[in-house]
Parts: sequence; C-alpha cells; structure tokens
Amino acid sequence: MNFIRGVMGGQAPGPQPSGAETIQKLCDRVASSTLLEDRRDAVRALKSLSKKYRMEVGTQAMDHLINILQTDRSDSEILGYALDTLYNIICNDEEEEQDENAQKQSDDLGAQFTEKFIQDSEHITLLLTLLEEFDFHVRWPGVKLLTALLKNQGVQVQGIILVSPMGVSRLMDLLADSREVIRNDGLLLLQQLTKGNAAIQKIVAFENAFERLLDIITEEGSSDGGIVVEDCLLLLLNLLKNNSSNQNFFKEGSYIQRMKPWFEVGDDNSGWSAQKVTNLHLMLQLVRVMVSPVNSPGTTTSCQKCMYQCGLLQQLCTILMATGVPADILTETINTVSEVIRGSQVNQDYFASVNAPSNPPRPAIVVLLMSMVNERQPFVLRCAVLYCFQCFLYKNQKGQGEIVATLLPSTIDANSISAGQLLCGGLFSADSLSNWCAAVALAHALQDNLTQKEQLLRVQLATSLGKPPVSLLQQCTNILSQGDKIVRRGSKVQTRVGLLMLLCTWISNCPIAVTHFLHNQDNVPFLTAQISENLGEDERLVQGLCALLLGICIYYNDNSLENYTKEKLKQLIEKRIGKENFVEKLGFITKHELYSRAALKPQPVFPSPEQMLFDHEFTKLVKELEGQHRLCDGVITKAVHKSSEEDKKEEEVKKTLEQHDNIVTQYKELIREQDAQIQELKEQVASMSSQNEQMQTTITQQLSQIQQHKDQYNILKLKLGKENQTQSNSQGDGSQVNGLQTEELSQLREELEELRRQHTLLQTQVGEKDVLINTLRSSPQMAEGPSAGSDNTELLQELEVLKSQVQSQSSEISQLKAERQELLKRAEARSADTVPTSDSSSDASKMADLESRLTAQTSEKEKLEESRAQLEQQLDSAKSTVAILQTEKEKLQTEVQESKKEQDDLLMLLADQDQKIHSLKKRLKDLGQTVEDEDDLDARDQTSDDDDEDEDEG
Amino acid sequence: MAYAYLFKYIIIGDTDKRFQPVHDLTIGVEFGARMITIDGKQIKLQIWDTAGQESFRSITRSYYRGAAGALLVYDITRRDTFNHLTTWLEDARQHSNSNMVIMLIGNKSDLESRREVKKEEGEAFAREHGLVFMETSAKTATNVEEAFINTAKDIYEKIQEGVFDINNEANGIKIGPQHPTTNSTLSSSQGGHQAGGGCC
Repeated sequence: MNFIRGVMGGQAPGPQPSGAETIQKLCDRVASSTLLEDRRDAVRALKSLSKKYRMEVGTQAMDHLINILQTDRSDSEILGYALDTLYNIICNDEEEEQDENAQKQSDDLGAQFTEKFIQDSEHITLLLTLLEEFDFHVRWPGVKLLTALLKNQGVQVQGIILVSPMGVSRLMDLLADSREVIRNDGLLLLQQLTKGNAAIQKIVAFENAFERLLDIITEEGSSDGGIVVEDCLLLLLNLLKNNSSNQNFFKEGSYIQRMKPWFEVGDDNSGWSAQKVTNLHLMLQLVRVMVSPVNSPGTTTSCQKCMYQCGLLQQLCTILMATGVPADILTETINTVSEVIRGSQVNQDYFASVNAPSNPPRPAIVVLLMSMVNERQPFVLRCAVLYCFQCFLYKNQKGQGEIVATLLPSTIDANSISAGQLLCGGLFSADSLSNWCAAVALAHALQDNLTQKEQLLRVQLATSLGKPPVSLLQQCTNILSQGDKIVRRGSKVQTRVGLLMLLCTWISNCPIAVTHFLHNQDNVPFLTAQISENLGEDERLVQGLCALLLGICIYYNDNSLENYTKEKLKQLIEKRIGKENFVEKLGFITKHELYSRAALKPQPVFPSPEQMLFDHEFTKLVKELEGQHRLCDGVITKAVHKSSEEDKKEEEVKKTLEQHDNIVTQYKELIREQDAQIQELKEQVASMSSQNEQMQTTITQQLSQIQQHKDQYNILKLKLGKENQTQSNSQGDGSQVNGLQTEELSQLREELEELRRQHTLLQTQVGEKDVLINTLRSSPQMAEGPSAGSDNTELLQELEVLKSQVQSQSSEISQLKAERQELLKRAEARSADTVPTSDSSSDASKMADLESRLTAQTSEKEKLEESRAQLEQQLDSAKSTVAILQTEKEKLQTEVQESKKEQDDLLMLLADQDQKIHSLKKRLKDLGQTVEDEDDLDARDQTSDDDDEDEDEG
Repeated sequence: MAYAYLFKYIIIGDTDKRFQPVHDLTIGVEFGARMITIDGKQIKLQIWDTAGQESFRSITRSYYRGAAGALLVYDITRRDTFNHLTTWLEDARQHSNSNMVIMLIGNKSDLESRREVKKEEGEAFAREHGLVFMETSAKTATNVEEAFINTAKDIYEKIQEGVFDINNEANGIKIGPQHPTTNSTLSSSQGGHQAGGGCC
C-alpha cells in the first residue's frame, strides 16, 4: 500500500482508498494524461496491482490498456507494462497455491477477460503486429499474452490468427529469435496455436517448422536435452498427429532419417534422468504417429519402409534388447516396434531375425514372450509384448506358420525354449493374465489362416506321467470345463474368456476343427449347461461366448458327425436353451461395456488387468459373425432360427451358390487368363506398333538417303557426262565413220554391181563379137564382102568405146581404192581415240574421292563404271564392226582386182580379136572384096552403129 | 534423395477439383512432392495445393510468403474461375515476396467440348500481367509436368541471376544437402564442415 500511496502522489492520510478507486484514478491518468511519463507510471502502477486486484484491473483498465497498445507504439516500455498487465489479468495459472474453488474462479475470470479482449478481432491483429517489434520488453510479454489467450479461447483465437495474413508466419519467426526465452516461449505459443487445427498445423509445417524444430532438438542435445527438447517434441506431435498432409511432408522431407540418431542411447547406463525419459517417450510417440494403424494405409506403409531403410527400426530393436532401460521406455519401445512392423512383411521378417545378446542367443520374440507370461513383469509391459506379437503376426502367414511349427511334433526342438512352448505354458499356467495373453496370442497365429488352424489340431500335449497325451484343443476345453476347480490367481472369467476367444477363432471357418471339437462328447453338454444356467453378472460374458462357440459349431458344421449335425444341434438348443434365450445370451458379447472399447483400435490397452477381456481382432470376428447392430441378425442367429426345411433349402441354395461360385470362379479364371492374354497382346501390339514406327522412320530415312544418293548420282552423271563428252565424241565419230563406211560400202557394192553388169554386157558383146567373128570367118568363103572395111572401122570404133569404158572403170576403181584408203585411215584414227585417255584416270581418282566421302555411293559408282564398261564394249563392238568392214573391204578389193584382171584379159582378148579382125579385114581388102556384112551388123547393133554412123557422117 | 535445390510451390485459383489428384479435401491444403531435372541438376519440388476455394483464400494467404513459385489455375470450362484471376493475382502479388514466379494455368484442357474460356483469352491475360501461360489437363496429365518444369526453370534462372537470396529459406528455396553455398565454402575453408542450407 505504501507503494500505491507513493504512486498516488502523496495523498493526505485518511480513509484508505479501495483498490477499485485507486485503479479508477490510474485509468483516468492513463486515459487523460498528455505526458508519456505520466501514462507510463500509471500503467506501471496498474501492472503492480493487476495480480492482487485482477478482477478490478481487468474490468476497468482493459480498454485503456488496449488503447495504449494502439497509440503509444513508439515507447516500448509502456507497451511492455501494458502487455504485462493484460497478461496478468488474462492468465490463469499465476497463483499456484490456491484451493480448488479459487482456481475455478480464476479460470472463469481468465475466460471472461479473454472473451472481452477478442471481441474485436483487431486486437489480436494488433498483438500480432506488436510481435514484430524486436524489443524484448514488447515481444516477450506479447508472446506470453497471446499464449494465454490461446489457452483460454483456443478455437476463436486460432480462427482470427488463421485469417490474418502472415499471422502464422510471424509467429513462426519467433523460433528464429536469438533470445532463448522468446524462442522457448514461442514454442509454447505454437503448441497452443497448433492444437487441433489442421490448417494452422499445415501452415506451420510449410514455414519450415520441421527443419527448425529438429535443428533445435539437435542443438539442445536430443534426448539428453532439457525441457526445450520436450516442448519441441510436443509441437512436432501436434503437427503430425492425424495430419496426413504433414506426415507426407515429413516423410518426403527425409525427416524420418533425422529421428534415427535420437535412439542411439547405447548401453551406457549413464543414468536416465526424468527429463530424458520424458524426451525419449515423446520421441517414440513421434515415431508411432508416423506409422499408426489409424493413419491412411499408404502413409504408414511408406513410413515403415523408410524406417527400415534408414535403420531406425534396427536402432529401436537395439533398445529393445539393451539392459538397464527403464520399464516405461522399454514398454513404449516395444509398442513403437510393434507399429513399425505391423503388416509390413520386410519389417516383420527383420524382427523375426533379431536375437537377444544372451548366451546362447535367443530370438527377441522368445525373450519378449517370456516377459508376457511372467507374472512379475509390469502389466503395461506384458500388454506391449502381446501387441508386439500381434503386430508381428498381422497379415504375416509366414510368421504364423513359424510360430505354429514350434508346437508340431515333427519340428519341435526340445533343447531350447520356443515361442510355442511359452504360449502353451502361458495357456495352462495358474495366472489368469498369462492364460488370457497366451490364448489371444495363439489366436493371432491362426487369424485368417486355415492351414494353421488345421495344423494346430495335430498338437498333442503330455499331461502327467502315465496318462495318454491330450490334444491341445481338448486340453483347452478341459480347462474350460474344469475351470472352477483349479486354483488360480486373478480372475477366472479372464481365463475362460481368453480360452473361448481362442476356440472361437480356431474353429470358425474350419469345419475340420468343428468336427474335432464336437468329437469330444463332453463339450456340447458343457456349452449348453453354461448357456442355459442362470448365472450372475460376471458370468454373462462367458455365457455369451459359449453361445457364440455353439453357434459357430452349427454354422461351420459339415454334418460329418451323426450326433452333432446342424439339425441335431439346433434341436438341442431349442430343447435345452430355447432359441430366444440363446440369441439373448449371444447378445451379451456386443453389449459388454468393454467390447466397443476394444473394437476401436488394435493396441491392447487396459486401465487395469481386470478389464483385459476383449481382443481387437476377436471383435472383428464377432462383427463378421453377428453383425454390429441388434437389428440386423448375424449369420449365427439366422442359422439357429432356421427350420430344418429352411436349412435344407439353404443347403440347396448353398450348393447351387457354390456351383455358381464355381462357375463364377471358372469364368473369373477365364477372364483373368483372357486379361493376361489381352495384356500380352496389348504389349505385342505396342511393341509391334513401336517396331512399325521404327521401320517407318528407317524407311523414310532410307528414302531420303536414296533421294540423296539419286541426287548425287545425277550430279555425278552430269559430271561424268562432261567427262565422257570427249569419249562420246569419239564414239559419235566412230558411228559416223561406221555410217559412212556402210554408206560407201553400199555405194561400192552398187558400183561393183554396175561394173558386173557392164562386165556381163561386155561379155555378151564379146560373145556376139565372137559369133560375128565366126560368121565373118565363115563368110569369106561365100562372100568375102567389100563391107569388110567398113566393118573393120565399126569394130575399131567399138573398140575405142570399150577402151574408154574400161578406162573410166579403172579410174573409178582407183577412186574407190583411194576412198577405201581414206576409210581405213579414219578407222585407225578412231581406234586410236578409244584408248582410255588421262581424263578417265582423273575421273577414277574423283570417283575414289567420292567413294571415301559417301560409302553408300559405291553402287552408283559401280553402275557408272558398268556403264563405262558398256560404253567400252560398244566401242569394242564398233571396232570389230570396223574390222569386219575392213575385211569386207579387202574382199571387195580382191574382187575388184579380179574383175580388173578379167577386164584386162578381156581387153587382151579384145585386142587379139581386134588384131584378128584387122588382119581379117586386111585380108578381105587384099582379096578385094568389100565387107558386106556391115549392114547386118548395123541392123543387129543399132545403137552403137548409129553413133558410129553419125560420127562417120559428121 | 539428393537434390541441388528445393523449391516450394503453391497452387492457387478457383478449382473445384484439385490440380493434382489428392485425397483429403477436408482441410485447405494438401501436400505433394516430385523430382525434376533442369540444366542437369536434380530439383525437388514441394507442392502445396491450396484447393483454391473461396473459403480457403484467407488460409492460402499464409502460404504466399514462403513460396518460390505459384501456379495460378483456372478452369477453362468455367468462366467464373477465369474472372476471379485478377483477385487471386492481386492477393498473390500483395502477400508474396516480389520474386515469386507466377504461372497461369488453364486446366481441364481435355474438356474441349465444354470450354468457356478461349485459349487466346488466357494468353492475353498472361501477357497483360507478365505471366507465363499454359493449358493443361490434370486428368490426362497433359502439360502438368511441363507446367512444373517451366516454373522451376524461371526460378532457376532467377537464382542464376542472383535475384533470389538462396540462403533465406523464407523465399521457398533451399539448397540441397550436397550443394556448397558461397557461405559454407567460406566457412569450410575456415575449418567449419557444415553442410549448406541449414538455418543459422
């Protein structure tokens, strides 16, 4: 109070002012004073009063304080006082030593003032702006105030922050603050901010929260770190729990890998501080959040895979087998390993291979099961082991087979403790919890696995010496029926519920097991007795389970036992129990208060050992058989209600259904085959079409190549054409020569013909002359005519003509000879031309050059060479024709020669005859007789005579 | 997986169906990731699809600051989604850092028969506002990869030009674990052996 008095400024002593009055005065000063210092002092005073007079300060000063926040932005000191004051009136957990009543009152106050503060959402926005202020005196109380507001009215404040742009981002910046206090309080703020608001969680994650938080955890020493690590982990849990988008981001961002080093705690029992235990516990929970059975299956599967690949699972298994690990950490580790391996074959296989570092090494599964059936172990640990075992067997036929195999006579190993032995031990131990756990564990080895259900029927147990072995199934029912007589620790109901669940799981969907069960004459009477008895509340569940077991015996009955056909069992129910009664008892199961709790999630979690009654998988079986709702009857109820006729009908329907099923399966098979075929064909088509495409592209390529080659060929041809011009010229000459020759030859031939004709003409003339001579010879006797003289002149004339003719012929012949000579020369010149010139050699070099450049062109070149060869051939043939012509010419020459000779001969003859004629004429003249025969001669040879006569006359 | 850079993308705009096929529509934003290669470098893309409904717009605002790229998506079969582009763009420009690369995407190009917005209109809008434009079909995956790659190329070029401060993760860019930054090369020469990209 002294302090207040001081603040009030030396007021005169009198009746002390009440708190309310003082606060009112302070508020007035805050509102009206123009001096910043005055206002600051007033706010400071309000702050100091705010704890004691929380109610008064809150109601009277809040508006003024908010006003200060808005107007006095420049003075961080006054802002700090105002924020502190607001924090004091809004925050609830300030006064710790309060009784319950006062606490409640305080809670109400906090809620009330928060309500008032956030009435205007601008106030939150204002607060967010103030958080940008770097000054410690503003930022720190600002963080605390916002945290308090979030604590009191989370949903509303979250809503306001979410819609204010950059609101969440600003708060995320707090994690980067170099002042640890602010960073740490920022963590607490973000924890409150992200509670139950997925949208905010995503934005926080988007703002790199994972990276920063993991960095802080590492900086702070991971599990050895302090409460800051714990806060980081709590925030991470908020961000990831049930938020598949963030889980996906966490996994994609490779943050799972960063969790692995957390669990490298080793065997050094350097001490497990409470903080370390808390930190590790949260770390394990974080792992579990990523692989929780309630996550979307895709997320869990990919995270499980990742945890195996990065060695996180292996690390966890090391903790599992380490010594000195506190029980609750060990328990949580077991639960974590459970969920990391659940339903993941690779992880399950790895887990099966883990050995405890004992001597001799034992499988981890065996070591864990030993704890499960050990009464001295903590209840939660035993539950965790059961969960681990269940997760190991979940969707793991291989693992189920391996567990059952440890009980089979053929594979049993007497030297070491096996999982099967431990389970049997647990099943028949004197501890009801062990009984229950072992029964449920064994049931999980049979879940959805017909093979193992049948295999387990083979298991025989040696009871006591001298007695024959008893089957496991029989032993279970024996204990069930003798249960009351055996002294046991724990609840008798628990043991029987466990065994009944095991039996139900075992024989459901397995007619052989049903037959085995019914084969024991005691079982059905026991069940009917149990169901029909009017027992207390405790026994109701057992009655319900017995009814279920009997129901399964009917439903999965293959009628192979005469005494216990479906029909007979139904009659039995009707007679001994009554259908309605039976159904009512059956209903006891689902109506049990613990049933729905177990149905929620796979992990067996029970507040106390007594409440350990239902197994999650078993609730699924019940659901399958009896349906969830009372309104829709389950298959068992239906089976019991049905009359025998209906049953028969049902049987028939079933058969036809089965037939249909068969047909359907056949068709399915067919469809599957066809599907495969289609797939195959599709693939073929795809490959074909791709091949086709390839072919087409190669074809187009080749086409273009060919086009190219053609072009090049054309170019070459052109070039070659030029080069060959000389050749072709000479060739042309040759042909010209040839043409000339043939022409000349024909001419020659014609001339020859002409000459021959003339020759024959001459011969005939000579013949005529001979005849004439003969007549003349003969005529001298009769008439040595005077005409002989004229006759002689005529003959001479004729001879002159003949001579000139012969002369012209001979000149013609010489002309022909000259021509021929010329032709010969030309032909020789031509043959000289055809000899390959140097041009062709340069051409060849060019071609070689082209060859090197375009290998594909060789064919073209060859073609060209061929054509050249052809040309050469043509040339050769031309040459040969020339040769032939030459020989012909020679022949002709000889002929001409011969004809010349003949002509010479003829000329000689003519000369002889001329002489003869001359001598004859002389003689005739001597004789004095005119040659008379001249007229005759004239008449015979008119034309020549005419000419002669004209000459004579002229 | 090792990557040279990590880019954060957001997908905005009015779309009744998300641009990427994603499952959970209950909350505003869905996350996806993919790897692309640009200039021989592996680039990891983290994509936040903001589902773009009007009711989520205020939530979307919180994502602008930390994103390196945004795909502004409209539905070519719904004129109203095109009409809202301006508002989205204003929002994006106002709340993002100025270097954020925005690409305009006309989605559902597979539904040509129901088209209400011409391709030319999209192109004109993009030209007017200086955006890269593309029509895609998330259903048939046509151009979707290209849209991501083209945006990434733009960002990558800006990095090469030194426009982005790559050491500030708030820009939505992170350097890969094996990629030495200019800073870390300096510090490593002084004996520090820290991988780049960590926030300090």
